[in-house]
Amino acid sequence: MKLCVACGMPMEGDGDFPLGDRSKDYCVHCARPDGSMQSYEEKAQSLAAFVARSQGLDPGQARKAAEAMMGRLPAWKAAR
Amino acid sequence: MLTEQSVIIQGTKRSQQKAATRETILRSARSLYAERGIAATRSAAVAQAAGLAHGTLFLHFPRQEELLVAVIEDFGEGLCRRLHELSAGGRGLRACLEAHLAGLREVEGFYAALLTEAGHLPEAARLSLLMVQSTLSWHIAAAAEAGMEAGTIRRQPVHLLFNTWIGLVHHYLANRELFAPGALVLERRGGELVEHYLGLVSTGDRIEGG
Repeated sequence: MKLCVACGMPMEGDGDFPLGDRSKDYCVHCARPDGSMQSYEEKAQSLAAFVARSQGLDPGQARKAAEAMMGRLPAWKAAR
Repeated sequence: MLTEQSVIIQGTKRSQQKAATRETILRSARSLYAERGIAATRSAAVAQAAGLAHGTLFLHFPRQEELLVAVIEDFGEGLCRRLHELSAGGRGLRACLEAHLAGLREVEGFYAALLTEAGHLPEAARLSLLMVQSTLSWHIAAAAEAGMEAGTIRRQPVHLLFNTWIGLVHHYLANRELFAPGALVLERRGGELVEHYLGLVSTGDRIEGG
């Protein structure tokens, strides 16, 4: 089973892949509407917003958590 | 004489052996963290419990912090897989909560130690725990929002819905000797927590997933 290189999510069904394209190494949540992969900044912003919304963290702490999470994933290890 | 195939086989065996040793180390460390506490567990004790030379453990985890992070990530990956399988089936909030408790039950002593000591642990370990919480919050938010759309869950801010659940579970874990002395608190009280929580967040007399 593939794990998304950009967020770590397990990818199994066609719906987990951008535009259903199973050749992609990133998931539907890490893709732009046209199927291309989001940039580091786009992903960091959306992840921080999600962490703040779902857990109520302070925005600065949420951004720090998002960057820490991304720093452990293959797509972003060299990006920081 | 070494053929290309025999070199590949030897390489595969070494890789499998390395993964097996890593798994033994993680299991031994998790068990000692639960028994003695995280800060009180020395790497030499982990090596002894795993039946390895201290140097072998050092090769896998040069720093104690790396070992702790790996144990948290190992637990988080298992929980993530469990939750993902459920969400793929769209089984709702009850299934998410039950999967969460089932994942915690497997490592209850370790997780309770993690909660108790979290404020004093290295930042990398605290961030790893936050990553696990984020994965959980993703699944709970998705299930709760689907329930809100369907009218089975009361509309409310997702972070409060999530934090109410986490607060409840963590309180029972942090005080598990009061709620279930000498036993697994989530085994004994988990069902009660799920029912109570669903009663709080569900609409009217329609208990979500009930």
